[in-house]
Amino acid sequence: MSGASAARTVALLKTLGFTDAVSIPDGESRLLYQALVDDEEMEVYLPTREGEGIAIAAGLWVGGRKPVIVLQNTGLMEAGDALRGCGIGPSIPLLLLVGWRGYPGAMTGALPIDSAYPYTEPLLDAWGLAHRRLMSDDDLGVIAEMAEAAEKRSKPAAVVYGYGFTP
Amino acid sequence: MSMERLDVLKALADRRTDEIVVTTMTATLQWPQVSSHPLDFDFLAFGMGHAADFALGLALARPERKVIVLKGDGGLLMSLGSLVTLGRYAPPNLLVLLLENRSYEMTGGQSFATEVDFPALASGAGLKNVERIDDLTRFETELSRLLTKPGPHFVVLPVTNSASLPPVSHTDHTSRVTKLRQALDLVP
Repeated sequence: MSGASAARTVALLKTLGFTDAVSIPDGESRLLYQALVDDEEMEVYLPTREGEGIAIAAGLWVGGRKPVIVLQNTGLMEAGDALRGCGIGPSIPLLLLVGWRGYPGAMTGALPIDSAYPYTEPLLDAWGLAHRRLMSDDDLGVIAEMAEAAEKRSKPAAVVYGYGFTP
Repeated sequence: MSMERLDVLKALADRRTDEIVVTTMTATLQWPQVSSHPLDFDFLAFGMGHAADFALGLALARPERKVIVLKGDGGLLMSLGSLVTLGRYAPPNLLVLLLENRSYEMTGGQSFATEVDFPALASGAGLKNVERIDDLTRFETELSRLLTKPGPHFVVLPVTNSASLPPVSHTDHTSRVTKLRQALDLVP
C-alpha cells in the first residue's frame, strides 16, 4: 500500500503558510523530502539528529518563520528532551510529520513486530500532543487540522504517516 | 591560559548593541549580572545541548540581525553533530562563543576528556572562521571584528570561574519566548 502524494502535501503545506522544513527523511518520506527540496519557495534544512532539528525549528519559529518538522518515530523518541524543552514547555506550535516505522508490517501481521511500532501513538498521548493519521490522499485534511490544533493549543501537534509518500 | 568568565561576559556586554544573545547553563546565571537587554534570551532548560541549534534557527530566520550564542563545551559534546549543520548552512550573522572549561560546571564540575580539540572539531565539521582566544585584552580587541564582520564565527574561549554563582531563578519558558518575539516586533 502507498501513502499520500508528496507533491500534494507540499502544496498544502505552502497553502497553510509553512515556509521551512526541517527534516531527517526516512525511507517513507524520501519522496516528500525531495519534493520539499525541489520546491523553490520552501527552505529545507537537514540536521544530523532529530533533537537538533527540533531546536533549529524552534529558533526559526521564534524568529518569525513557520517550520514543519519531518522525522521518523524513532527520531521522535531520540528527540524527547528537545520536544519538551523547545516545543511543549515554551508553547511553540510546531507541526510534526512523523513516520510510523513498523506500521505496514504490523498491519500485514509480519513478524517480528518492529519495536518502534507500538510506542508511537502512546508516546504522543503521553506528551499530551494532538495527533492524527495520514495514510493516503484521502487523509490530507488532517495536516490542516493538526496545524490548526498546534496554533490553538500553543504546543506541537503531529501527523503520523503509516505508508511511504508517492510522487 | 584562560580568562575569568565574568570578565569575558562583561567585555561582550559592554560592546554588544542590538544583537540577540542566547545563553545557556552557567552563562545564564552570570549574564544577567552584566546585561539586561530585551534581546537577551535564556535557553536554560530548553533542551540539553541545543542552544547553538536554536541560535542557528534564529539566525536563519533573522538574517538582518546578528545572533550570538554563549554555550559551554559540555553542551557542545551533547550535540556534536550540530557543528556539521552549522558548517553546512553557515549563516553569516551567527557568532558562537564556546566557553571552554572542560567540565560540567552546572552539576558540580565533573571533568570530561581533557584532550578534546574544539577548534579542530569545528574546522573539521566545515566551519570556516574558527579561532581560539585565550587573552582578555585580545578578546576585547577582536570583538569589534566578530560583531561586525560576516561569519559565521566560531570562537573557543577557555575560561575559569572564581565568582560564586547565583542560584538558578528563571522565568517560565513561554514568557521568555514571548519577550524575545516582542523585542523582534513579531508580536504585540
